[in-house]
Amino acid sequence: MEINIENIYKNFDGKKVLKGVTLKIPNKKSTIILGKSGCGKSVLLKIIYKLIFQDKGVIKYNSEENVDINNFSMLFQYGALFDSLKVWENIAFQAINEHDNSINNLKEKVIENMESLGLTSDNFYKYPSELSGGMKKRVALGRALFKKPQVIFLDEPTTGLDPINSNLINELIVKTIKEKEITAITITHDIKSAIKTGDLFYYLEDGITEISDTCNNLFKTTNKKLNYFLKGEK
Amino acid sequence: MLLFELIGNFFIEAVRSIGKISYFMFLIFKYLFFPRFYINSNFNYLIKILLSSIPIVALTAIFSGMVLTLQSYTGFSRFSAETAIPKIVVLTLTRELGPVLAGLMVAGRVGASIAAEIATMRVTEQIDALKTLNTNFYNYLVTPRVIALVIIMPLLVTFADIIGVYGGYLISTLRLGFNETIYISNTINFISFEDYFSGMVKSIVFGFIIAIMSCYHGLYTGKGSFGVGSATTNAVVSSSVLILVFNYILTEVFF
Repeated sequence: MEINIENIYKNFDGKKVLKGVTLKIPNKKSTIILGKSGCGKSVLLKIIYKLIFQDKGVIKYNSEENVDINNFSMLFQYGALFDSLKVWENIAFQAINEHDNSINNLKEKVIENMESLGLTSDNFYKYPSELSGGMKKRVALGRALFKKPQVIFLDEPTTGLDPINSNLINELIVKTIKEKEITAITITHDIKSAIKTGDLFYYLEDGITEISDTCNNLFKTTNKKLNYFLKGEK
Repeated sequence: MLLFELIGNFFIEAVRSIGKISYFMFLIFKYLFFPRFYINSNFNYLIKILLSSIPIVALTAIFSGMVLTLQSYTGFSRFSAETAIPKIVVLTLTRELGPVLAGLMVAGRVGASIAAEIATMRVTEQIDALKTLNTNFYNYLVTPRVIALVIIMPLLVTFADIIGVYGGYLISTLRLGFNETIYISNTINFISFEDYFSGMVKSIVFGFIIAIMSCYHGLYTGKGSFGVGSATTNAVVSSSVLILVFNYILTEVFF
């Protein structure tokens, strides 16, 4: 699914968070939105997902303004797993509630899904509180992929993970995007992760899209703000 | 100037809150009439509320019944009207103390837990996750709690009435030397259906108030652990105040 975001504005209690963001998300590619903390990345992601609504501007999904958000799924920054449900119930949450399949059938599908993410079946009946940070992220990714989305939204996928687990999650994301041929939109400030998983890059600062580029050109940019951001300088 | 500013801000905030709660209630009624039932969620919630509330309601009711009997005796014995004690105890408990005390206890025990649970879900983005999984959070989180509390509260109040009257019976017969048979017959003969009915209406209204206030403060929580703490406190305080206000209004209605 190709997504065109045109001139998006969003205010919260008088504070201008997005001030005319324009960007294009190509079909079946991984688009990364870089930016400092608090620059409006998460708000933009939720607006594209239609979890919140913009004050001004248009978003077109395959040239249409209306879209069935059931074609989307999201990996939340801290997983957002349901504490009161077991791992398998988290992964198959939507299917269980929509009575899509028999429970045994769903359990088999969940096991397949878990195996593809490197999760062993002994985690099946565990609660999220019994899992490590990396495992929680993988379960959350499993939940996001279980509904076979056309577009996956990744909100800081490597936040809070050690380098090994970050790498693992990055590899899973790359593998998933390629194998399942889905469009991915990632917001992050983890440059390493962005380079590993992205095809196209946008840099957002002060609620405005500063630049878009491919991975090869990212470090050759003449944009001062992006250069400082990439080097971690003020 | 500052005083005017403070008063103005207070009124603006009050009007805003009333608007938000009204819209919230409109949505609740909408989803109550067109619910999508998550049977496990509803049933589990009914059982959870019942089991967690019974001990605290029982303790509150029995001690209140006992104290009420002793205090009534102090007053009525001064003009030799001790025989009125069983009647006063049963009337006060079924019409007033049973519903109000059970309401306040449930607000503290269950209301706080609902607000904290929903607020935590909001803060940790689980509410957003529900939306992304094609699940309406009013149907999944709010209506089961409203239905559960509206069903459970009359049961808890009936239980509180019985335990409270039993507390009064124990003190009257064991401590004050009343005749057991006369006490029981005085209690049963005096109470009317209207007394019990008014208590039941109150219990349903209080259950609704607790559910609404707890879910509302949970959903509109601030950020972080401070937000969750404030949501919990606000849920209990607003439920308790509204229970006392509506208790007066309903007492006037059934007077």
